Amino acid sequence: MSAWRWLPRILLLVLFAGFIFGPVANLLLWSVAESWYWPNRLPSQYGFRYWERVFRPEGQAMESLGLSIWIAALATLACMAVAIPAAWALARARLPMRGLILLLFLLPQAFPNMPVYINIARVFFSLGLNGTVLGVVLVHAAHGLVYAVWIAAAAFAAVEDDAVLAARNMGAGALTAFRTVTLPLAAPGIAASAIFVFLESLDEFTASFFVGAPDVRTLPLLLYSAAAGGNMQVAAITALILLVPSIVFMAVVQRFLRADVLAGVGK
Amino acid sequence: MPFLLVAPSLLLVGAFFLFPLLLSVQGAFMGADGPTLAHFRTAFGLYRNDMLVTLLITGCATALIGAGSIAIGGYLTLGGSRRARAVLAWLYRWPLFIPFIVAGQSMRGFLGQNGLMNSALVGAGMPEMWAQSFLDWRGIVITFVWKQLPFATLLIAGAMAAMDRAQIEAAQNLGAGRLRVLLGVVLPQVSRNITVALILSFVTMMGVLSVPLMISGQSPSMLTIPMAWRINSLGDYATANALGVLACLMTGMVAWVWLRQAAAEKAK
Amino acid sequence: MMRRRTLFAALPALAAPLATHPAAAQQRVTLNVMTAGDQNMVDYITDYLGPMFERQNPGVSVRAVGTGAGDSGSQRIWERLEAQRRAGATAVDVDVAVVHQSMAGRMVAEKLLSRYRADISTGALTTAAVASNALGQDVDGYVMPMFNSQVAIAYNPDRVTEVPQTFAALEAWAKAHPKRFGYNGIRGGMAGVGFVFGWTYAFGPDQRLLLEGPFNAEAVRALTPALQRLKAFNANAVITPGNAGTLDALNRGEIDMGPVWMDMFYTWQAEGRLNPSMRLVLPESGLPGQPMYYVIPDKAAHAAAARKFIELATSPQVQADGIVKRFNWLPGIDAQHVRQNLDQATWNRLFRDIGPEQLAQGARPMPQAEFFKAIQEAYERVVLN
Repeated sequence: MSAWRWLPRILLLVLFAGFIFGPVANLLLWSVAESWYWPNRLPSQYGFRYWERVFRPEGQAMESLGLSIWIAALATLACMAVAIPAAWALARARLPMRGLILLLFLLPQAFPNMPVYINIARVFFSLGLNGTVLGVVLVHAAHGLVYAVWIAAAAFAAVEDDAVLAARNMGAGALTAFRTVTLPLAAPGIAASAIFVFLESLDEFTASFFVGAPDVRTLPLLLYSAAAGGNMQVAAITALILLVPSIVFMAVVQRFLRADVLAGVGK
Repeated sequence: MPFLLVAPSLLLVGAFFLFPLLLSVQGAFMGADGPTLAHFRTAFGLYRNDMLVTLLITGCATALIGAGSIAIGGYLTLGGSRRARAVLAWLYRWPLFIPFIVAGQSMRGFLGQNGLMNSALVGAGMPEMWAQSFLDWRGIVITFVWKQLPFATLLIAGAMAAMDRAQIEAAQNLGAGRLRVLLGVVLPQVSRNITVALILSFVTMMGVLSVPLMISGQSPSMLTIPMAWRINSLGDYATANALGVLACLMTGMVAWVWLRQAAAEKAK
Repeated sequence: MMRRRTLFAALPALAAPLATHPAAAQQRVTLNVMTAGDQNMVDYITDYLGPMFERQNPGVSVRAVGTGAGDSGSQRIWERLEAQRRAGATAVDVDVAVVHQSMAGRMVAEKLLSRYRADISTGALTTAAVASNALGQDVDGYVMPMFNSQVAIAYNPDRVTEVPQTFAALEAWAKAHPKRFGYNGIRGGMAGVGFVFGWTYAFGPDQRLLLEGPFNAEAVRALTPALQRLKAFNANAVITPGNAGTLDALNRGEIDMGPVWMDMFYTWQAEGRLNPSMRLVLPESGLPGQPMYYVIPDKAAHAAAARKFIELATSPQVQADGIVKRFNWLPGIDAQHVRQNLDQATWNRLFRDIGPEQLAQGARPMPQAEFFKAIQEAYERVVLN
């Protein structure tokens, strides 16, 4: 009896697992497929030849990965430096046109980016910023601001007024209260927003291509050329490398994102 | 004073996004001799189907994401079996941070006529003649849902979890079924979060180039494709800019819904 | 990375001594090679030509960057050069570029390139028309062909029993086998664009006019019936994502026939990435092929090293070993210089499916530059709407 009650649940969960993991399994298979063509349903020859090819010194996969991480770290830093004060103001101060300001941060996510990045590239050339890490970092930071500001604002908003008031009553200045009470209480949410910015930068393609290439070659650029060239194996391996940080952060992000913060995003 | 705190971040967005965006808008209206609407005529003449398809694909994906994330969030909040809830919570978030470009690459081999999905289904007993390729607009929708569902669910399930459980229990004590509780009690309270999650998903998907590029060469396709094509192959920035402005208007309408809702909430 | 930036500031100063004193080449110099086209072009420079050049020129490292398939890849390079000129850069950070024909013509017309062919020792090894004329634009002296390539129709002999030798037969086959012919439209790479051109060559009123010009808009309008026919054909065809997408779809049994670049086809087979039983055919009315050009931007930071690089790249030995033997391209310099460096078997491999006479008969250039663009726009207007 109870087994029958469980059956639909298990079936649904298995189907859902297939939907979630199927595409990833496909990547894994391609990465070790040395020969795979129809009508073979699975690779006819397995091996690590393409792994060797990706990690050969000229392949620059590790160099690109390092650079991608470096850029993402800098972009996160830049982004959080401006986002934290803004998020605090949006969450706790009475700002006129608050909705409009929130919307402004959304724009870089919302607008199809290509024409914008081409114009940025033109401006950057005249400033000598094209093809520099700094240029890519700035664009990535602007692009990630929506996550930084929206989530951090929700985190600040979730801090209880009482705690801050108590600190002020005990004689703490506004800044001290912020530093010792508000910031630590909001820290997990801010960390979560930083994770979003970091990953957004790590995965960004269009801006890196127009502003960064060829001097700044991030991992998504490598993946794109492999995929466009139809090299399924190299593309799959590069994709798997990009997957590692994504999954690590996916596992930890829950620790930082409490439900009440999530409930306040975009409010 | 609060404006000073917001200023640096606004400057960042202004300098590295709004300013080039304005250049692009200007480019959309500038002809060889003065302002013109010719580029918009070209854009409408050649790409109105792409616009409709863009709305269709993004709208479809958004609807599916909404339904899926409400279902998952609802089960996580109201589901009867603790074990099933734990498995589901563990499962749904895997693609959360997977880049679109990786998602596109994985789906390309997965959804093909003889891709892994159909191979698995045929292996499980599906007749081979049923196997069809999903590498068209449906593939784009599936990829979007796969990639954006965890994000929307994260926000929506989080909001549901933050709700006061007393109301849910009260309704359940009155004998309301789980579906009734979900629709009657839970949803009204998290409707705002649902809107935020879906708007964020919608606007994100609108701007993605890599997924339609990798999944399907079909035409009409999403607007990013003709935009890239105009710039890359014809060097025609003006029409691309006009398409960009139109895409911006499309997302703008959605953002307007959000703003209006925010205003309504403030009035309460 | 920051160090590289300061290095860039010093590049113009570095380049001058390099030209006169080979010893000064001991300084670390990075030769930036930007290449349009598919991934195999990047692989060719990263894995083969780059390391060879580095061995011969200590202190120089070659950096190859791919800018994407099709004309869009060349467009990216043009954007880069154009932006730097607009910014008034004294030295351009692209030393060698590999571009398509139409873009080479445009770059020459806009004076973005340096005229170098007379200055390199291999300059006289090519006498082909494409070395001096790119789709109607005079590019004499500004370009060296890297290789030639050709679009052909690939098919699966297990599924295609009567191989179509003409476009009309192809059309009939696709009608009889719906959704078994695939090509990548015109937005996804040159194999698809080439197929569309081949279609207009076959069904348009005047092939010669399209190839040689002069351009007139009336001739483009005259292609409308042919394009409407293509629209009907498309209803039975699959549109694949990209040049590689067509090969990939063939490989996975999703289509049985489709236009591909011959070199990519042979290379995939040689690497075991494509079913070895697949074959190629070139229809009678012809399909276009094209060379890729080596060019040196005007004011390239390392112009001297760039010339040396191209000299090596177009030497008979490299053309034989690299271009023909390893990457299955048709050579960029005249065949007689290359053949003597190759064994007969390797040479014959280039003609396994399509013999030299068939190739000579069926190979066409791309349409003249203005037709090139106009046909693509006409395709959007007629076929896609």
